[in-house]
Order: sequence, then structure tokens, then C-alpha cells
Amino acid sequence: MTGRGTPSRFLQSVLQNGVGRYVCQLKRISLIFSKNAQSSLGARNFIEEGVVDFAKKNPGTVVYISPEPCRIPRIVAEYLNGTVKEEAITSKTSQQISELVTKLTDQSGLDIIRIRKPYHTDSPSIQGQWHPFTNRPPAAGVIRPPSDETSA
Amino acid sequence: MASGLLATRGLLTLLNYQQACRSVLVTQTRHKKRWMRAYVKIMEAKLKLEGPPPPKRRSEKPNWDYHAEVEAFSARLQENFQLERLKTAFVNPCYVRVEQERRGALGLEPEVAALTLKDNGALHTRGEAFVQDFLSDWCRASFPSLPAKGTAALVNHLKGPEVVCHVARNLGVEDLTMSAEFPVPDEVLYGTFCAVVAALEESSGPQRAGLFLRDFLTAQLIGKDLFDMWSVVNPMGLLVEECTHRGLPLPKPRLLRAAGASTVLPLYFVGLYCDKKLLAEGPGETLLAAEEEAARAALRKLYGYMENRQPLDFSPVSPQTSQSTNQALSSG
Repeated sequence: MTGRGTPSRFLQSVLQNGVGRYVCQLKRISLIFSKNAQSSLGARNFIEEGVVDFAKKNPGTVVYISPEPCRIPRIVAEYLNGTVKEEAITSKTSQQISELVTKLTDQSGLDIIRIRKPYHTDSPSIQGQWHPFTNRPPAAGVIRPPSDETSA
Repeated sequence: MASGLLATRGLLTLLNYQQACRSVLVTQTRHKKRWMRAYVKIMEAKLKLEGPPPPKRRSEKPNWDYHAEVEAFSARLQENFQLERLKTAFVNPCYVRVEQERRGALGLEPEVAALTLKDNGALHTRGEAFVQDFLSDWCRASFPSLPAKGTAALVNHLKGPEVVCHVARNLGVEDLTMSAEFPVPDEVLYGTFCAVVAALEESSGPQRAGLFLRDFLTAQLIGKDLFDMWSVVNPMGLLVEECTHRGLPLPKPRLLRAAGASTVLPLYFVGLYCDKKLLAEGPGETLLAAEEEAARAALRKLYGYMENRQPLDFSPVSPQTSQSTNQALSSG
């Protein structure tokens, strides 16, 4: 697909985040895993090793641990703007899960689609909108006083 | 004798077979589930007829711990809320009323299942007054040249339900709000946000609450034009009024440049001169439109609300912003 066909957006933040103070956009994270499945081994290790540290480091994020019989353990992340992201963590090691959780914490919850430019401004032009006199000599199109017109 | 023995044995095996059959029927059968396709089709048809199911509250879905959520809300905003106050701020009067009706309908006696919830009515009124006071103070401090009408327009825009509900939704207030209806109506969300501000003011003092409003509400002013928020019908009249108020001579409009006057896309540049000095110029398709645009540009300059003004102060230390240095034409 060409660039015009894929969905895209401008670089933006939720609620001008960071202008006043930074608010971590991840509001809730649930870790769903099985107590005895092989595919949840890494998830169980992460719960033993890393999850308490993560919760202590991020007091603004509520962490839910829910053991239930499942083959595919997953992480469900909910963001302040209402986005819900689900990531499967089948056969991932504790280290990999920790990295994934850190990544989810740093995200803003906005759609992960092509960003048109790596910068954005509300007033894109410094010299203003183009008009027929832009970059023209100052004499072009000038209305002269009536006395000049009558003499000319 | 032998035949009788055979008959009894045959009967026994038959009985055993029946038992075996019953036990097999009770456990699972493994084959292609041919009923599945019909069931899925019916469910699809039902979805098409009835539409998607109504949205559910977050508190009705799995993994919800209200206390932890409220604590996280407080920590996320880097504020020290008193949790009891904050919880009260989330309880709306409509929720209390509906909950009491529901308990009554269940046949519970009022003294057995008494609802000991305090609603946020008082906090709401208090928060609304605080928001109004703070925003008008802040606008007056940030834009000292702006007249009272302009300040009021800014304040009305900032404390209007549109901006406040947008902020509240993106701060996660909606999940915690206890309201009778879901999705939470705008009025209820607005009241809850005001109540949260009042709860913060009671918990950490008016300064912290002011900082909270400055960081989240007034940051919505970024990228907004003055006349998007303040609808001025006759900018030239306002400019004349402003000039007489400041003791400046009346602005005189002069046509500066023109192009394509006889085409479908004419362009005029009108400049406003005050005391033989160019105050502002503006483009337009007609002379009147250009003059109006020039008047708006002149007003923006006089009020210190140009596009290239100094950015608003959001630094964490100073509680109040002062932008007196950034005023256009302060000397002239």
C-alpha cells in the first residue's frame, strides 16, 4: 500500500500531556495466566520476580493478577483515553515480559499507525498563509494615493 | 439348566452394555460439531437485528478494585487526595437515588440495607465556584490587557462542559464516576470533575487545586485563537471603543494592496493606521472583510493575544503566571 492508503495521524499527545505535568497514561494492567500451563511459565516467573517492583514504581497504574485456566497467557493494558490493548505472552520469558510491560507503560494509548511527520505544530507557517504578494517586491500591487493616479 | 444359565448371563451382559452406553453418553463425544454453524449463524443474525450490546461500566467487568483505582487516580495525578473525600466526590446524587430505589424494589427494609453514601452535591457547588474564581484570576493575570468581556469569554470556554468533559474523560474520571446512567452524561461528568477539584482543595489547599486546574484545564488553551472563543460581531466597533478607552486617535482604514479585483478571486489588503503608524493589516476577498480582518489583527495585538506571543507559563514552581512583559504596544 502506498502512503496515502494507510491510515495515518499527526504526532500528538493526550490532553497536552507533559505541558503542565506528566501523567502516566497506563491506568490499568491485568496479567491473565494459567497456574500450571507450560506456556505461562514466564508469566509466573515475572509475577514472582518483577510485578511487585513494577507496581511500586508505578503507583498510578493498577495491576491485577488473575490466574485462570488458559493456554494463552496475556496482558491487557487499559489507557486513560479508553484504549484497551491485549498482548499475548505465550512462552515469553520473565525478562521479555518485563520489557513488554515497560513498553506498554511508556505508550500513550493513541493508535499505533503511521505518523505523518516526526514533529507537529498548530501554526505550521511562520510567515503566514501564501497570498499573491508573498515574495514579491514591495511595490507590486500597491494602491497609490489618488493624486498620483490622476497625474498618471 | 444350561439354557437358564445362558439366559441370565445374556441378561447381565445386556444390562452391562446399557450401563456402559449411559456412561459414554454422559461423557463427551468427539466429532465435528455440526450444530455449531447453525448456532453461529443465529448469533450473527441476532447481532445484526439487535445491534451491538449496550456498553458496560468498567466496574461491571472483571478485575475491578474500587479502592485501588481511587488510590491510583490520586497517585497518577501526583496529588495527595484524602481518599474519603475523593470517594465522596465520585458519588453523584442521581446514583444514590437510583440505588435507594433499587434496594426498595428488592424488598429490603430501609433500616436493614441503609445506604450510608454521601453524595457530592456540596462539593460540586464548591468546586464550580472555585473553578470560576481561579480561572478568572488566572486569565486576568495571564492576559492583563484583555477587557472583562474577553476574560469572561475565555473563562466560559475553559469551564464550559465541552472542555471540562474532554479533560475529565482523558483523566479517567469517567470510570470512577458513580452515576445512574451509563455512558455517563456530560452534566454528571462535569459535576464530578468540579467535585474532584473541590476535594483536592479541601485535601491539599487552594494552591495545589489551582495548580491542578492550571496544568489540566488551562493547557487546553494552547493553539486556540482568541476569536474562536470570543465571538465578536463587530470588531471595528470594538477597536474604536478600545482606542478611545486608551486615548489613541481613531484607527483609519487604508487600502494597501489589491489584486485581481475583476476576477472571481479578488484580494485586498487593508491596513489600519493609528496616528500615522500602521497598527495592523489584514487580507480579505472584499474590502469589508479585509477591514474586519485587519481590525481583528489589531485587537489581538492590543490585547496581547497574538500567535507569536510568549508561551504560557506552566513551570511547576510558580503558582501564578505573570506575562506582563509580553504585551504588545505596551509602550505605544
